[in-house]
Amino acid sequence: MIDRLTAALGRSRADYTEIRVERTWSTAVTFRGRRLESVTASEDQGGFVRALSRGAGWGVASFTSLERLEAMVSRAHDLSRAVHVETPIRLADVAPQRADALLDLDGDVRGVSLAEKKRLLEAYNGAMLAVSDRIVDTLASYRDEVSEYWFVNSDGTGLHELRPEVTLSGTAVARRDGTIEKGLESVGLRRGWNSVQDGIAGFRTAAERAVRLLDAPTVKGGTYPVILDPELAGVFIHEAFGHLSEADFVYENPQARAMMTLGRRFGKPLLHVGDNGAAPGLRGTLPFDDEGTPTQDTPLITEGILVGRLHSRETAATMGERPTGNARAVSFRHAPIVRMTNTYIGKGRGTFADLIGDVKLGVYACSAFGGQTLLENFSFTAAYGHMIRDGQVAELVKDVVLAGNLFQTLDRIDHIAGDFRWNQMGGGCGKGGQYPLPVTEGAPHVRIEEALVGGDVPA
Amino acid sequence: MIDRLLEQARRRADGGADALWRRVERTSVAFEWGRLKGAGVTEETGVSLRVRHGGRVGVAGTTAADASLDHLIARALASADLGEAVDLAFPPRAPLPSVPTYFDRAGEASLDDLIRMGRGLLDGLARDGCRVNVAVERETAETRVANSAGAASHYRSTALAVSADVWRIAGDDVLVLGDACEGADVPSDAALQAIVRSVNTRLDRALTVVSPPEGSLPVVFTPAGLAALLLPVTQALSGKAVLQGISPLGGKVGQAAVFDAAFSLRDDPTCAGRPASRPSDDECVPSRVTPLVERGVVRRFIYDLETAARAKTQSTGHGQRGIFGKPVPGYTNLILASQPDSSNVGAQHAAPLPLGGGLVRDIQDGLLVDELIGVGQGNVIGGAFSHPVALAYRIERGEITGRVKEAAVAGNVYELWKRVGGFGSDARWTGSRYAPSVLLQGVSVARR
Repeated sequence: MIDRLTAALGRSRADYTEIRVERTWSTAVTFRGRRLESVTASEDQGGFVRALSRGAGWGVASFTSLERLEAMVSRAHDLSRAVHVETPIRLADVAPQRADALLDLDGDVRGVSLAEKKRLLEAYNGAMLAVSDRIVDTLASYRDEVSEYWFVNSDGTGLHELRPEVTLSGTAVARRDGTIEKGLESVGLRRGWNSVQDGIAGFRTAAERAVRLLDAPTVKGGTYPVILDPELAGVFIHEAFGHLSEADFVYENPQARAMMTLGRRFGKPLLHVGDNGAAPGLRGTLPFDDEGTPTQDTPLITEGILVGRLHSRETAATMGERPTGNARAVSFRHAPIVRMTNTYIGKGRGTFADLIGDVKLGVYACSAFGGQTLLENFSFTAAYGHMIRDGQVAELVKDVVLAGNLFQTLDRIDHIAGDFRWNQMGGGCGKGGQYPLPVTEGAPHVRIEEALVGGDVPA
Repeated sequence: MIDRLLEQARRRADGGADALWRRVERTSVAFEWGRLKGAGVTEETGVSLRVRHGGRVGVAGTTAADASLDHLIARALASADLGEAVDLAFPPRAPLPSVPTYFDRAGEASLDDLIRMGRGLLDGLARDGCRVNVAVERETAETRVANSAGAASHYRSTALAVSADVWRIAGDDVLVLGDACEGADVPSDAALQAIVRSVNTRLDRALTVVSPPEGSLPVVFTPAGLAALLLPVTQALSGKAVLQGISPLGGKVGQAAVFDAAFSLRDDPTCAGRPASRPSDDECVPSRVTPLVERGVVRRFIYDLETAARAKTQSTGHGQRGIFGKPVPGYTNLILASQPDSSNVGAQHAAPLPLGGGLVRDIQDGLLVDELIGVGQGNVIGGAFSHPVALAYRIERGEITGRVKEAAVAGNVYELWKRVGGFGSDARWTGSRYAPSVLLQGVSVARR
């Protein structure tokens, strides 16, 4: 395949051309309640070409029929030439890479029968249903894939990879009269069949939590010291800060650039944030990004100061900085854009007990149902929470929604514990119509000295 | 190809089969931060097969052009082998309504035409201290769906979407607002001009930041701002949620006063000029209008074939399927109106002026909400919501006085929809939803 792609590159008349081809085998099993909803096996394949000519814009073409490869290389060139740009598009240099990097398949899912996958999920789903007769509905899903990946570009890079992925998720719905509560479990790994054999406890816990939330009061809205568990802290740093550090947001926007000037203080000296696409064994990890740039650990905030950002070759060239290996595409259907990989808040000092010891009245917000950021404003829905009273974790509360201003909130992080953890969840990140991109977030317990918690908003 | 596939599948699956074949071509241009950046094309073909064998249903899909039909059928049968029994009958051939889905002007628009449309928006929106992103995308598709009971549907379709957003960053104050228009045909110059006016008007009004009000207040939700208030309702009106026992509207068909008498909602897959319109759904069920709520009374839920079979009712023609996975119930064009049969659904896209459709003038102290943060998070179907505002304006003595930043709105949609304060005169399409601004009383507004 690499030879075929290289030959097609050779015929391109553009100044720069890249070709990506993917072939993905995937299976999925879904249970809803006691009922098996579906078992499917799919094959998805296609290619992507991107071309750039002097004085012109990007021409891109994606296609499912590989017979169209040569025609699409020529089409991408034509499209590029049709787009006149005033300022030339430049790409930062990256040394040509050659690799045949087969990732560890860890029990190749293609060798496991559909029946075995169904049995595994049936057991996990059954564990949720068995928790209580208050569990009126469940949704459990298993999905795996192996993607064979080829990338070549006219700078001499040629890559071939086999990328495994397996995700499991469970939602348990508990109901009593008109009250409905949910518990969530989610696991996402860049691994294979061997890694998902002992996940039953997480599913059971999710269902137990849904039942307990039926009796939990809604948190009283107001301003509190808030402790984020590592999972929610990870989602927070990804959503609220990570997206701002993607250079495609700032590189051609002078006002945004001013807001994100390197050297600006974003937090207290205890705050360290970074993005590491090369961290071993994580879902957001790959040896190269989708422009063939090697991935790396990129510090973004060091001791509270903005020190870096995430780049593609184009954004790096425009800003006179180095590519960081963050140009990623969710599939052959899309162009690579600047994305996160494994984003983290660095480890601090002390334990969880140290964080809450001097909190008289606060909220411990745990796990995430979801989060959204509109640049400086964010909203996160915790899956559940506990009140903190006199330095102790107290009663379970529900409907914990955190809302605030990013800059203020980052600056109010006043304590970071030493219990760092990566959270290998399913789902993924969405941007520019590309979803779900496999990413990971990591963090220790983090304390925000003051944050607004929505919930029971007094009328 | 689909005929051969069904012919072969029918021989191996004792309960028959259905299949969807779709070919899509897209052409798009993107202007980033005020500059034309690139153009792209997509060509995608795929086929999705469903079989019923031994009383069980299985599905398989592929985009591989070289996939053997044998292999695809074998995968679908393997999927059925593990599936649960469902009493699903493929519908027989039936007359399909005539729904125009292909518009030559859209299908034949050149790359230069698309660039011209984008540039027109860019010029209309350019202003100091702001950056503009514009995207224009044209899609042409061909869909074939057929089953072993003899039903078949074949149509070509076009869609053209234009969107623009303006970014204004002043210090740490980030303001983003945009608008879009989507249709099956090329947008008129008036529709493009309406996007420009809509964005500019809302931007002008947003330059002054004022302090938010607080308390239980009248709030006007614009057609875009309504998303948070309609999402729980549409989730609850899905036959799937009803079947699972998680829909708060489950047992309420025919009951009086579930919603305000001014609330009527329907789904219309036959609307002229809309990209979601089609003569049949993806399971060969003919398209027809489904009244969901009429004058406050719940009438129907939406079903696809399988959900209908499980619920022992008929499909409403809402089967939607992609290449991978099985069909699910999905809406087409949702129309919210004060009358169930209001026929004058216009082609209007961008917000007509004034903002709020005339609902603002009688409000002493309140809020106009255009966008909220976090819609769709959490336990949506339950109806309780709490969202910070992304874009909202303060209303004082009948006038919009400026943008509010630090505010959140909360409430329960099923309670709020019982008391509609009024519908605006500004009904428009926002994506595949047609709705006016709506005034709701007693929405909880908090300062942050």
